[in-house]
Amino acid sequence: MERTAEIEMPAGMGNSPPGLAAKAALSSSFKKRGIAVAIMSGASYGMYTAFITLAMTMGVWSVWYGDNSGLSDFSKLFLLGALGAAITDTCSALWAVLITIYKGKLSDFFRCIATKPGAILVGAAVIGGPLASTSYVLGLQSAGSIIVPISALCPAIGTILSRIMFKQQLTRRILLGIFICFVASAMIGSTGLAADAPPNLFLGLMFGFLAAFGWGLEGCVGGYATSMIDPEIGITIRQMTSGLSNLIILVPLFAFFGGADTLTMLGTAFTDSVAMPWFLVAGFCAYFAFMLWYKGNAMCGTALGMSCNGAFSFWGPFFSWIVLGLAFNIPGYALSPIAWLAAVVMVIGIFIIAVNPLALFSKKGDAA
Amino acid sequence: MKPLNYAILIHMTTVEEACPEDVMEALKGDYSTFKAFNKRDILTALMTAEANGLLEESRFDLDEGGNVRLYFRANAQGAATIKRYIRV
Repeated sequence: MERTAEIEMPAGMGNSPPGLAAKAALSSSFKKRGIAVAIMSGASYGMYTAFITLAMTMGVWSVWYGDNSGLSDFSKLFLLGALGAAITDTCSALWAVLITIYKGKLSDFFRCIATKPGAILVGAAVIGGPLASTSYVLGLQSAGSIIVPISALCPAIGTILSRIMFKQQLTRRILLGIFICFVASAMIGSTGLAADAPPNLFLGLMFGFLAAFGWGLEGCVGGYATSMIDPEIGITIRQMTSGLSNLIILVPLFAFFGGADTLTMLGTAFTDSVAMPWFLVAGFCAYFAFMLWYKGNAMCGTALGMSCNGAFSFWGPFFSWIVLGLAFNIPGYALSPIAWLAAVVMVIGIFIIAVNPLALFSKKGDAA
Repeated sequence: MKPLNYAILIHMTTVEEACPEDVMEALKGDYSTFKAFNKRDILTALMTAEANGLLEESRFDLDEGGNVRLYFRANAQGAATIKRYIRV
């Protein structure tokens, strides 16, 4: 997008009415682009969710999740979940490196990784990648789908952390908007509540809050670091860290506790020609999900950026319905009416964070 | 040699104010071969830094083509933060 507003004025007439209008248009276009980037990050996250779910139903994965796989219940839940995330993040890191090379930024990637903002991004990736994601899975297992709205607290946590750490703006209007977005996520999460019988509710809630804290911290710190590091380089650091730490630490750890053979499973998964193409697609979507998340947070602040991204709680079921339900005719992915209603509520919440409704009314009044 | 985005921010701590064209003029010796070394990407980097409080807008005018030209500066706090994160 060209970021200049062309008007016919002599040089230097910045404070003339056309100059002021062009300046306002430029600033407004930057904010709108930031919001579009943040919304796209949530939609990309929804596509990533759909394609990783699809990949994990195919090829060797259908055998592993079957009754005669020989894997323990622990391995089916934790090891396979971590393995799927590790393969997707590794594919995503591969895409990130290829795109970085294509854009001529590989040398800057090596220059950035050894610096303070680079180290911050590595830390953010470990917290938001293996730690928060694993907490989310553990929370789901312990307390059921009440964890979905709990984890949707991450924009609120990220915003509060940004206020404390980076002195970002936090008004009552922004808090109201975040609360409305949280209510919308809770509406989507509530669809699965009745079917759950949480075996260990308190522990599960603790893991859910830990996941929300991890993602909130990652969003706020990663977004701030992206104000110094190019987002495409930042996300290459993020995905390489997350992919490698999942592959080298988390998968072997869960395999050890589950009594499975790490290397054999990794080899089988990476050479599975049926599922791997879909993991590559999921990795491509994950690249954009996280790159646009960091970029959106940097461009329009953590509160607005994370709230726009938080719409993934709608986009996830939506794209799962499109990909798994409609395209592949897999039953159980139909979108409930409450999810559509929640999407509308979420848009209202995001709007309240982005725009002061009172300012709109006052503009109309001025015009009149 | 610093990454391009770092070089832009460091440059902003050494001048009173600068617009994207000024930054490009100052950095062209080392970075003119970079694909991201263009006015649009540099303006985005400057506006992102402004959104995060590292820089502030000092003024604007119109260039010979009638395009808005934004000038930015690093205030004391922003300059200190840049220097703290990116060792100059």
